[in-house]
Amino acid sequence: MFSQLIQNLIDHTVETSLGYFQAELWLCGTIVVLLLARLFSLDRLLPGNVLALAGSVTAVFAAWSQLETVQAEPGFSETFFTGLMIQDLFSVYFRLFLALFLVLTVALTILSGIPDGEDAPDFYTLLLGATIGMMIMAGANNLLMLFIGVEMASVPSYAMVGFLKGRRTSSEAALKYVVYGAGAAGVMLYGISLIAGVLGTGDMSLLADRIRIVAEGGVAGLGDAEVRLVVLGVMLVLVGLAFKLSLVPFHFWCPDAFEGASAEVGGFLSVASKAGAFALLVRFAVSLSGPSSAALMSAFGIGLGVIAMVTMTFGNLAAYGQSNMKRLLAYSTIAHAGYMLMAVSAMLVMQNSPQAGALGQEINACIGGLLYYLAVYLFMNLGAFAVVALIRNYTFTEEISSYAGLGRQNPVLAVCMLFCLVSLVGIPPFGGFFAKLMIFGSVYKAGDLHWSMYLLLAVGGLNTVFSLVYYLRVLKVMFIEERPADSRPIRLPSLERAYVSLLGAFVLLLGCAPLLADGLTLLAGEAANSVFSAAVTSR
Amino acid sequence: MGDTLKTLLMIAWLLPLFGFAVEILWGPRGDRRTTRWPAWMAVACIGSGFLCSLSALLIWGSGTDWAVLQSHDSHDAGHAAPSDTHHEGVEPQEHPAHESAQQNPIRPTAPVRANDAARWHLTTAADGHASDAHQNAHTAAGHTDSPSDSAASSHGQVPLVYHGTIYRLAAFGSLILSIDYYIDSLTLVMFTMVTLIATCIHLFAIGYMSDELTDEYVDHFVHTSDGGHLHRQGRFYRFFAFLSLFCFSMLGLVLAGNIFQVFIFWELVGICSYLLIGFYTERHSASTAANKAFIMNRVGDFGFLIGLMVIWTWFGTFQFSDLFASLPRDDAGRVVTGEYGEVALALPDGSSKQIPYTLLVVAGLGVFAGCIGKSAQFPLQTWLPDAMEGPTPVSALVHSATMVAAGVYLTGRFYPMFVPEVLLVIAYIGAVTLFLAATIAVVATDIKKVLAYSTISQLGYMVLGLGVFGWAAGLFHLITHAFFKSLMFLCSGSVIHGCHHEQEMTRMGGLRHRMPITAFTMLVGVIAIAGLSIPGLIAFSGYHSKDAIVATALAFIQANPGHFLLFLLPLLTAGITAFYMFRLWFMTFAGEPRDAHVYDHAHESPWIMTLPLLILAPLAAFCATGGEDGLLYRLLAGSEPNYVAAGVSSTASGLTLPGHHAIHEVHSTAGTWALVAAIAGTLLAWVLYGTKAVRVEDMKRQMAGLHRFLTHKWYFDELYDALFVQPVHQVARFFAWIDRTLIDGIVHFAARLTVLASRWDRLFDELFIDGLVNLVGRATFSVGRSFHVVQTGRLRQYVMFIVVGVVALFAVLFTTFPR
Repeated sequence: MFSQLIQNLIDHTVETSLGYFQAELWLCGTIVVLLLARLFSLDRLLPGNVLALAGSVTAVFAAWSQLETVQAEPGFSETFFTGLMIQDLFSVYFRLFLALFLVLTVALTILSGIPDGEDAPDFYTLLLGATIGMMIMAGANNLLMLFIGVEMASVPSYAMVGFLKGRRTSSEAALKYVVYGAGAAGVMLYGISLIAGVLGTGDMSLLADRIRIVAEGGVAGLGDAEVRLVVLGVMLVLVGLAFKLSLVPFHFWCPDAFEGASAEVGGFLSVASKAGAFALLVRFAVSLSGPSSAALMSAFGIGLGVIAMVTMTFGNLAAYGQSNMKRLLAYSTIAHAGYMLMAVSAMLVMQNSPQAGALGQEINACIGGLLYYLAVYLFMNLGAFAVVALIRNYTFTEEISSYAGLGRQNPVLAVCMLFCLVSLVGIPPFGGFFAKLMIFGSVYKAGDLHWSMYLLLAVGGLNTVFSLVYYLRVLKVMFIEERPADSRPIRLPSLERAYVSLLGAFVLLLGCAPLLADGLTLLAGEAANSVFSAAVTSR
Repeated sequence: MGDTLKTLLMIAWLLPLFGFAVEILWGPRGDRRTTRWPAWMAVACIGSGFLCSLSALLIWGSGTDWAVLQSHDSHDAGHAAPSDTHHEGVEPQEHPAHESAQQNPIRPTAPVRANDAARWHLTTAADGHASDAHQNAHTAAGHTDSPSDSAASSHGQVPLVYHGTIYRLAAFGSLILSIDYYIDSLTLVMFTMVTLIATCIHLFAIGYMSDELTDEYVDHFVHTSDGGHLHRQGRFYRFFAFLSLFCFSMLGLVLAGNIFQVFIFWELVGICSYLLIGFYTERHSASTAANKAFIMNRVGDFGFLIGLMVIWTWFGTFQFSDLFASLPRDDAGRVVTGEYGEVALALPDGSSKQIPYTLLVVAGLGVFAGCIGKSAQFPLQTWLPDAMEGPTPVSALVHSATMVAAGVYLTGRFYPMFVPEVLLVIAYIGAVTLFLAATIAVVATDIKKVLAYSTISQLGYMVLGLGVFGWAAGLFHLITHAFFKSLMFLCSGSVIHGCHHEQEMTRMGGLRHRMPITAFTMLVGVIAIAGLSIPGLIAFSGYHSKDAIVATALAFIQANPGHFLLFLLPLLTAGITAFYMFRLWFMTFAGEPRDAHVYDHAHESPWIMTLPLLILAPLAAFCATGGEDGLLYRLLAGSEPNYVAAGVSSTASGLTLPGHHAIHEVHSTAGTWALVAAIAGTLLAWVLYGTKAVRVEDMKRQMAGLHRFLTHKWYFDELYDALFVQPVHQVARFFAWIDRTLIDGIVHFAARLTVLASRWDRLFDELFIDGLVNLVGRATFSVGRSFHVVQTGRLRQYVMFIVVGVVALFAVLFTTFPR
């Protein structure tokens, strides 16, 4: 009988699980090849960056084929690896998103020449490994996988931040990041143990149900000692995720780490790790939401809303005084995490309201908006970091003042930067505006249910105005100020120009090309839908 | 077949556009300025277009077994038909050999069609299906979803018509704007004519414009302030680019399947004409002439737009096929009117609508107003002579053969929509124009101006022909005129080129010794336009086509004696035409040289310029061979609206429009009269200018008043100046005065007030608003700054903050969360 069990497990793993896991497997395989090539000194023959690019492109195709199959079957949701992971459109969306982003990042590193050939296998091993971790975060269906995913994403990130070995700031940043991350991981692990201990399971699809069993009278409240423990655990897990998302007050690592890390790594961390963490947050929040825990989760939603307000206000205001572009973008990243958190907050408030049944469409729209935001954010933030990286290669500095007069000297680069920054502010023809509009729209709808959502909306709007100041300051330097006569000229090769133009074009097109934008909106909506349908079916 | 024709014509149509794009984009760079490749590019494009058009014509012909040619003589087609119910004339039976072929329903009158037409219906229906399938393919590709593509034989309007949609531009509610095609024999003949003449003229222009092939072109007609001449870069490429654009526009106009598309290309040819007239843009005369042409055309187009509005409002469609089918005509070809003079339209969607008869008149007159402008008819004729400022190839192509004929073409194309009252107006406009222009041509001394007035006059003939119900006659003359007039313009170009840009005939003379080819080909053109012939032996094209028009006019006034001027004027003018054309030839090529300097330096043009002359001369002479039994006339008549052949008797307004039979009866009479007039004119010209029998100067002195009247072009420019330009200037001056004294005064006062107020405002702003904003800004900025205090960079502190944060969140959680 036991052997039967083992046989079943193997069969299921081979037939189903590995198939669902193929994008990650391709990346794993790439890592192995990278390391082997290094081991047998083949890295001259097979340069690390080429291997990494090939591997990540393969992962894109794998994820794309999964998207095709999953999309063909609406409401598809299936757990694999004995329930540790889940395969639905949501996880596939993120897998594709991350794989695509990986390709863009690898391409950027190839163009900007960081890392050099010597370090390439190491760097790409870390990069690919972190991406695998983020993919796991997006597909986690178990608290254990949640933790493993977060750690697997974090640990390579620490090393990547410190990758500029000779530089003191880089090492310092990495150290801060490691220690801070370790603290956050400890807190999160503690929270997981509390939840799993009280509820007796780590399976996220069972959490809501277990809370109902544990709670006295079927309605969970803090008066109940066991529920109180669970709530504590949830909060601690959220602290762990808040660290990944760099939400105030767990953001301290972020500016230091970004400043110390190279711009390429900064771009990667600011987009990818945020995307994975949001996927996880949405899954976690949805899995906890149930009829019995409605009041609690609604309170969590409002709490997240408050954190969102604080985060974006802090991020935007703190960005004012920055003179280093990477640091400025780090604060901008914090602020954007706040914007995106608004969507999760609105979603929790709506889903845990008595009218949840009637609000299905709007709840869906929250997460759809979040996914759209992430997709646009990918292009605009990566675009901004890419410009920083490319300029650094010529001027060897990342100070904003060194950008003076670039608008005239290198219009392509400057206009791409303009697209990215203006889109980050959220001004109409660009994708950032529509992403923001979708999230704000969702929060406005949630305002019917709780007044604090209106406050959240107002603060969000106000913050958009705040953010204008520091983004425009960069643009002013680029376009209005004269380029100092003694500064080094920046003449990009055509490939690099094409790269930033591509990103800039996507930022613009996601806003004003209906075909692209509608397609993405539709996909995001479907993906959002799959999270909820999974939650419903498991309930 | 429909698809093949469509494809061929579309290639012919789009090739020049491609050529234009290449020439205008690649032409101006570097040393390409001084090479001839743009010209060869343009020639290749339009030449291929000609081959496509010609093969389309041949395919069409063989596809129909040349049915139009076999069909019986136009004037008795309606008679021999077995079930002729409404025309009880004597059957002439002149061509019994054709009797069987005559059964062919290619030009059936309405009642005949039923049984015989079946074969043609099958053919066209099959083609219709083919093109339907094609259309569906388009639909799938998202181009259009209009199922309008079908062969139009179903309502028996015209024998073989292919029409459909190429591309749908836009749909505003029920208003659909699309690029359509409408292919019948008229379209095919026009395509072939336009592309052939254009090819010849392109070739000619390579020689004529070769002095532009330089980086240092000296324009001797432009005087700079320092007394020298203008130096500029050559614009060889630009000339050919504009020519190519013009060819594209003109062919698009001919291919157009709806009246709105016609309007689009109408404006496009207008702008090409503007660009080409103003080609020597630095010459003041050229740029004002371009403006004049453009603005006068806009006057006509205003009417065109009104016509379009009426059509859109009442018919709801712009498609020719739908429009023609909508207007109800009884068996006799009369427009069916109701009790109160309203017309019940049968709209394409199956519904019916009542339109007041007057609005039909307005629509027709409106569209014809456009034709008046484009074809330089009275009263908008004054722009065409000025348009001669453009290079001579332009005058040949745009302002004689094709664009100005577009107005006539549209009148013919839109014919079924013109009610008899409109036709009468058209006829009178044509009659007045042809006479007026011919009289001016008599005294003109600039060789190109003579030809320009002659063009106006001949266009008047065409318009008159259409107006007096000679549909095929008018268009017949359009084609023949295109050939001989383009020939004559090219000859004049050759003369001008050979005489180093001398255009005054008073300084020429005897040039036939210097340029024999030009002189000879010009003579061919002159004989053709004069309408001379030796009856029974040889007749040039102009004789046939003018005869057709004069005969129609005679038949018309026999039926409507009150309108006798419509015959008298063209007859008289036939003589005048012969006179001034021979005057031109004698003054230029015969006699003694009037100016030794010009004569000594004159030379025959190079082969590239004489070759087109030699190509065009036989065409000009013989394109109409056979007259109304000939190939060309038959081809055109194949597209004739079906009610024309039988004529329309006693319309509501009392007009009788002559049918082919009535015209044929008077044909020989009219022909004799016209020939006599032409010979008289020729003789007079010979006497005055060929021999030295009469001193022209004396005649001029004796008829000084008349001469002055004519040299001032009937004072039209002065009249328009006094009627329109001066009043506008007066009004403008008045308003300028009001502006300067009254409005400006108020504005200045307001400005001063504003300045005063804004000073206070500024004070308020600076102290209060700015203070507030700065306060907020400084506050937020310092708050932002203060965040640095937390961001110390000390690791120990950071970890502390985790703990503090978690504990603080605990506190919040336990105080706020629901119990």
